[in-house]
Amino acid sequence: MLNEERIIMMTRMAAYESGEGKKDGAIGSYFRGDYIGLQVLKSVISATIAYFLVCGIYLLYHFETLLDGIYEMDLWGIARKAAIAYIVTVAVYALISYVVYSYKYGKAKKKQKAYMSRLRQLSQLYQLESKNKQSY
Amino acid sequence: MATLLVIKEKLKSFYSKYEAYLVPVLKFTAAFISLLLVNKKLGYMTQLNSTAIVLIVALLCSFLPLNLIIVMAAAFSLGHVYSLSWECVIVLLVLYLLMFLLYFRFSPKDTIAVLLTPVCFALKIPVVMPLSMGLVGSPASVVSVGCGVIVYYVLSFISRNAPAINSLDADGTLVRFRYFLDGIMHDRAMLVAVAAFAVTVIVVYIIRRMPVDHCWTIAMITGALMSMVILMFGDLKYHTNISIVGTIVGSIAAVGIVKVLQFFVFNVDYSRTEHIQYEDDEYYYYVKAVPKMTVTIPDKTVTKLDTRKPVQHVESGLSTHRTASQDVAPHRASPESTSHRSFASAAQHTQAKSSMSSKSDSPSAKGSSSQSNSGSLQTNKSSLSTRSGMQTKPSGTRSTQGHSNSR
Repeated sequence: MLNEERIIMMTRMAAYESGEGKKDGAIGSYFRGDYIGLQVLKSVISATIAYFLVCGIYLLYHFETLLDGIYEMDLWGIARKAAIAYIVTVAVYALISYVVYSYKYGKAKKKQKAYMSRLRQLSQLYQLESKNKQSY
Repeated sequence: MATLLVIKEKLKSFYSKYEAYLVPVLKFTAAFISLLLVNKKLGYMTQLNSTAIVLIVALLCSFLPLNLIIVMAAAFSLGHVYSLSWECVIVLLVLYLLMFLLYFRFSPKDTIAVLLTPVCFALKIPVVMPLSMGLVGSPASVVSVGCGVIVYYVLSFISRNAPAINSLDADGTLVRFRYFLDGIMHDRAMLVAVAAFAVTVIVVYIIRRMPVDHCWTIAMITGALMSMVILMFGDLKYHTNISIVGTIVGSIAAVGIVKVLQFFVFNVDYSRTEHIQYEDDEYYYYVKAVPKMTVTIPDKTVTKLDTRKPVQHVESGLSTHRTASQDVAPHRASPESTSHRSFASAAQHTQAKSSMSSKSDSPSAKGSSSQSNSGSLQTNKSSLSTRSGMQTKPSGTRSTQGHSNSR
């Protein structure tokens, strides 16, 4: 027999599963450390690409000056400065990523917890229904 | 006001009915307008500068994810700029890549602001964007609005200086590259606009969150004033050559537009009709979940305040003191007799609402649903408590819990 309460619950759960649930499921399939670590790694790669793009533009802009004075330049000093700038950029960006993805992971887990509790309620409803059937 | 509310409810019902067709139409319109504007502003590549191509691409965008419109608009701009000068393409490509790599990885939903900000600039109402993002977004929206402003000014620079860039052909690649970068980096108008819009987003966001009556309206007006003041100050200080009349008129128009948007878009839960399929051991379920309309007709409660003085019945020699409560008692009797029925219907109403109104995907929709629904709940609760006193309390509590759970 159709149970209205159960159908409403199942509809809500199915809607969650087909929408936000997919994303949350993908996040929830990782351990916290693994997920955040992976995302921070991706951010480090992104920051590295961005840094080298900016460096490329800077080099192109100052190309003539660099060519003219390349023999008088302290190349070691410039490389050291560039390395420090790179480390600072990547570290700041990784820190921001850590905070953002920690928040995202926590949010997804919370929603999944609510989903699981609904799942338990649904299972209880089924059990109750089967008991009622047996008693009849 | 009542007519507007009715229009709003009609819009909601129209949207929930025809959502499957409306969303592609809206996407098509957004793609069509933005691509036409790119073509109008740049339009150097003849192959792209045709309405047929724009129509085809816009049609394609209407069935694909929203972010693809931004990708298409970016591709169109790159194509046009490539026809002009490949040095400019490098800079523009790097700009787009930096935006994507550093910011839009975190919040892909905000990318729409990058598309809409240049569109608003072209329509001479740029303040709409910081006001809107401050109202529905977060402080992080500063970055997306800023990116939109930068994209607009870069494209404007190319459009304004295309003849100059072409005339530098003979001077070589590096000269053109440097000319283009210098032009962008030293564009004071762009920097002032970025600063003004960033401050506006933050001010609007802070005021919107304050526990004050009409905080949204106050936030809009303050934000518009703030952006006007900063833009004018920037003009005085850095000679950005903005049109003062245009800025004032644009800001006033922006407040009006955002007010309309607030009424019809921001505070409305355009919940979607969901077509869901699932199964259990006994059945296959093909469910069409249609969001319930939360139209609440305000209950009219008539309160009679009797301030008549005691009446002396001289003829009979008796003095009768009639109090206000005695007078009101007969009036109370009739609602009390109907209290059970109205309570039951209101409880059903709130429970039904809580059961189906939870289906809002976007954060903005969630916020709006909470506002409208809680408002209607309060109306019911207050009217019930006036009428039937203690009896309504358990129901009020239960329906509120149900509502909060559903969210």
